[in-house]
Amino acid sequence: MTNISIKSASEPEQTDWKRYFSFSTDHKVIGVQYLVTAFIFFLFGGLFAMIIRAELLTPQLDVVNRSLYNGLFTMHGTIMIFLWIFPANVGLANYLVPLMIGARETAFPVLNAIAFWLIPVVGILLLFSFFLPSGTAQAGWWSYPPVSIQNPSGHLINGEFIWLLAVTISGVSSIMGGVNLVTTIVRMRAPGMTFFRMPVYVWTTLSAQLLQLFCLPALTGAAILLLFDLSLGTDFFSPFKQGDPMIYQHLFWFYSHPAVYVMALPAFGVFSEVIPAFARKPLFGYKTVAVSSLLISGISTLVWAHHMFASATPNWMRMLFMATSMLVAVPTGIKVFAWTATVWRGKLHFKTPMLFALGGVAMFLFAGITGVMLAAVPFDIHVNNTHFVVGHFHYVVFNTVSMAIYAGIYYWFPKITGRMYSEGWGKLHFWLTFIGANLNFFPMHPLGLQGMVRRIASYDPQYTGWNIVASLGAFLLGMSTLPFIANMVSSWLRGRKAPNNPWNATGLEWTTSSPPPLENFEEIPTVTLEPYSYGESHRLTTDPSSI
Amino acid sequence: MESPLDSGNSLSKNLNSTPKRDNLAFGFPIFLLSESIIFVSFFVTYALLRWKNSTWFPPGVSGLDIPRAAINTVILVSSSIVLYFAERAIARHKLVKFRRLWLLTAALGVIFLIGQVIEWRNMPFGLDAGLAGATFYLLTGFHGMHVFTGVVLLLYMYGRSLVPGNYNAGHQGVSAVSLFWHFVDVIWIILFMLLYIW
Amino acid sequence: MRTFNITLLAIFVGVIILTSHAMGQQAYHWLPIAAAAEAEPVGHLFSFLVTLGTIVFLSVMGVLVYSILFYRASDTSDAPAIRGNLKLEITWTVIPILLVIWIAGYSYNIYQRMNILGSLPLVHLHLLESPAYAETGSSNMQPTEQIEVIAKQWSWSFHYPSQNVTSTELHIRVNRPVHLMLKSEDVVHGFYVPNFRIKQDIVPNQTIAFKFTPNRIGQYQLHDSQFSGTYFALMEANVFVDSPERYNQWLAQAATRPSVPAINPAKSEHSQPPKTPLRSNWHTVPPAQPPVVNK
Repeated sequence: MTNISIKSASEPEQTDWKRYFSFSTDHKVIGVQYLVTAFIFFLFGGLFAMIIRAELLTPQLDVVNRSLYNGLFTMHGTIMIFLWIFPANVGLANYLVPLMIGARETAFPVLNAIAFWLIPVVGILLLFSFFLPSGTAQAGWWSYPPVSIQNPSGHLINGEFIWLLAVTISGVSSIMGGVNLVTTIVRMRAPGMTFFRMPVYVWTTLSAQLLQLFCLPALTGAAILLLFDLSLGTDFFSPFKQGDPMIYQHLFWFYSHPAVYVMALPAFGVFSEVIPAFARKPLFGYKTVAVSSLLISGISTLVWAHHMFASATPNWMRMLFMATSMLVAVPTGIKVFAWTATVWRGKLHFKTPMLFALGGVAMFLFAGITGVMLAAVPFDIHVNNTHFVVGHFHYVVFNTVSMAIYAGIYYWFPKITGRMYSEGWGKLHFWLTFIGANLNFFPMHPLGLQGMVRRIASYDPQYTGWNIVASLGAFLLGMSTLPFIANMVSSWLRGRKAPNNPWNATGLEWTTSSPPPLENFEEIPTVTLEPYSYGESHRLTTDPSSI
Repeated sequence: MESPLDSGNSLSKNLNSTPKRDNLAFGFPIFLLSESIIFVSFFVTYALLRWKNSTWFPPGVSGLDIPRAAINTVILVSSSIVLYFAERAIARHKLVKFRRLWLLTAALGVIFLIGQVIEWRNMPFGLDAGLAGATFYLLTGFHGMHVFTGVVLLLYMYGRSLVPGNYNAGHQGVSAVSLFWHFVDVIWIILFMLLYIW
Repeated sequence: MRTFNITLLAIFVGVIILTSHAMGQQAYHWLPIAAAAEAEPVGHLFSFLVTLGTIVFLSVMGVLVYSILFYRASDTSDAPAIRGNLKLEITWTVIPILLVIWIAGYSYNIYQRMNILGSLPLVHLHLLESPAYAETGSSNMQPTEQIEVIAKQWSWSFHYPSQNVTSTELHIRVNRPVHLMLKSEDVVHGFYVPNFRIKQDIVPNQTIAFKFTPNRIGQYQLHDSQFSGTYFALMEANVFVDSPERYNQWLAQAATRPSVPAINPAKSEHSQPPKTPLRSNWHTVPPAQPPVVNK
């Protein structure tokens, strides 16, 4: 590591792409590796979603048979969470955090690289399980016992076994990544980069990764116990022996509800970077926004049982978790209001990242409102396990988090590649995604209210109308990735050269070259200002003509 | 116009300006805290299941062999004490003393593992004997894996201590491994109380 | 200009309040027809949540849309550097806290009402579980029959102990509290009738007592709400809320009929899989023996 020379930044460009296929310890290379790998798996997850929606176009079973349907929704959920959103977020964080805090590298570069290379292993394992005689895991991504340990094939190597293995490896990768990012943020900040000078994106990454470190091992523990039950014949979760399937549900949701915040917090971070830059105003209430990230993390460790309101949970538990779940709305609300106030009286530039950010905020507002509704126990009992929950969840993970990831990719594309993306294609991508996402996920709310249960391959004909709309939305959403791919590939190859700071934004990452040199900064900067100094006379202005 | 970037900090010219070794002293405890949550999830599961089931042990078994496990506990706890003195030795740059005590810790670890093998072989029930069997083998096995990892790390650090001048710049690796060993020790004490004393 | 702004704001607030009220009223129609006493308070709660939700949504969206329309940049200069406003930030922390307390209090209230009406699960002898609840309310009514509900992969059956009748249909009397004893023979299932707004997971090897009061005569659909494996979607049953006369008549008739294995959609589909264009040959759990019922 010590003989890195400054020369390497100016290496001939032809060999440049090869480093993306190598075991690199450069956080920027790892970041891009994460993002591209995650996007490839996103396409698989999306393809599965489109097959599921094709099946739901009509009430009857007419596209896939039932076990394949169950396998597809299990793989859709697993891939989207563990192979798209997690790695895409970690990829962005890997690329950005050292640049934003003024570090040359991350704390544990080798560990970081190993964490990344486990991701393709997870993906290959999961996709490979389609070719097993037992098929893929078919118990959904919750994998509740006893369904998940029924193992009808009788084989030792079965879909559920592979699924548990994949989840465990993914967990190991996430813990490695988490240790690396948290240590980097706490220990590697440039001189003067106090906690309250860190951009909100760094705050949200810190909050999200602390949640991973604290909660994820519970899922790993549950997976190990389930693996014992499945493969070694123990009875931890077997209701007919001494075991108890409810313990699995508690362990699972102890992690898997905070997991939603692990996904959503970095999205809030992206909104907090993009919106000020294109409103030309400082982020409104920076400190409260920053601190509310940690509050969200803290409260979210105490809300898990709201997934079990219709399970055999006692009254006191239902009421307690209703209260804590609703409380999360307060720090999240603070963020939404802060973004809105940032836009107010701003000078708005509607570039692609801004469109994705504003679209994401608007849809997150909707998701937040349905979220509070779901926390109300009597109402939740009606819509629990119906499409209402599916709709709410997708307004969070797609309409908010994936929109934010797109916003982030467009916003930092010039920094990462040194090229500008095509604005026209970007806007087309936004409108297709925005319309497709709403068409796809809004109808799930009325369907759930009317009582359409989730995870069914065939349904009562009364639900047909909204299902057709949702399916058409899903196909549109599938199509919407085409202009994105075209834009990314062609712009990276022959886009216009990007200046160092195309958005005239604040933040240390914009002070270095595009793309940054191997060691990020010529000289480690000393920070003297709060972030988001838009409109302030002393702010760094490199190019007033840009944006 | 004042720039937020006061450049010219000569210290930052150095690529490894941030003391990288210190990162381990921060990152490793974080990792251990995270790792401990897996144990916590097992302990909670164990406690809930045991609390729920009035009959726990398979027929004919009234409890586990406490004296044998107690000997093992004494061995592991004393290894932690020995390790503490090893840490003190290296802090005072007494490298030879450090090596001896360090190796003694590893030896005690091996003895503990042998004790665990004897324990497993003399168990009156197997993994299939209901939850008593399942939880016993899961918990002791998972802990044993950690002890084994600890012994390997101890031996690796011992090997590194033989490289001349290796610890001149600090010994964060030693501290991390020590911490790991103490962690494994604490886990065992909780485990001993849950499995044997309860 | 100032009066103009205030007028504009007043109109905006008025529109929000009127729209939210209208949405709240409309919300009742988004739910399926209510057929149990428990459904009414849930409807009120939902209407309340929709009203509040619409107010929040329209207020924030109003500011966002206004900004998008009227704060477009005309040049590349920066906007005023407003870093925050402590009063405003305290306001938008305190108001949501109060709102949340209000919503939680109202939900608790509704939950208590449902409890009195009798939809609370009387779960007993279960880990992480408080002991059986004392039976509440409706004690002045004549004791009602406890109907056993047996869920298995993938069928529902209902056993009426007094007449020793088993059926694939659930018949219950209108305006009488219904006592169900929920049981599962294999995996976790869920008892869900959208028209009753009630749902309860059925954990195997436990009997979960469940009570509610249907109040509208008609035919409704019971669906398994907790994913139970391959033929999950087929695990449905008809629920009939009958007048007491019809109910007694049905029960008496059913008791005279011979016991035969029920027709089971999962079983027939398992033996004759549909020819879908995309098919897997993966192993599946075979459907359990269909229940033997008085046809």
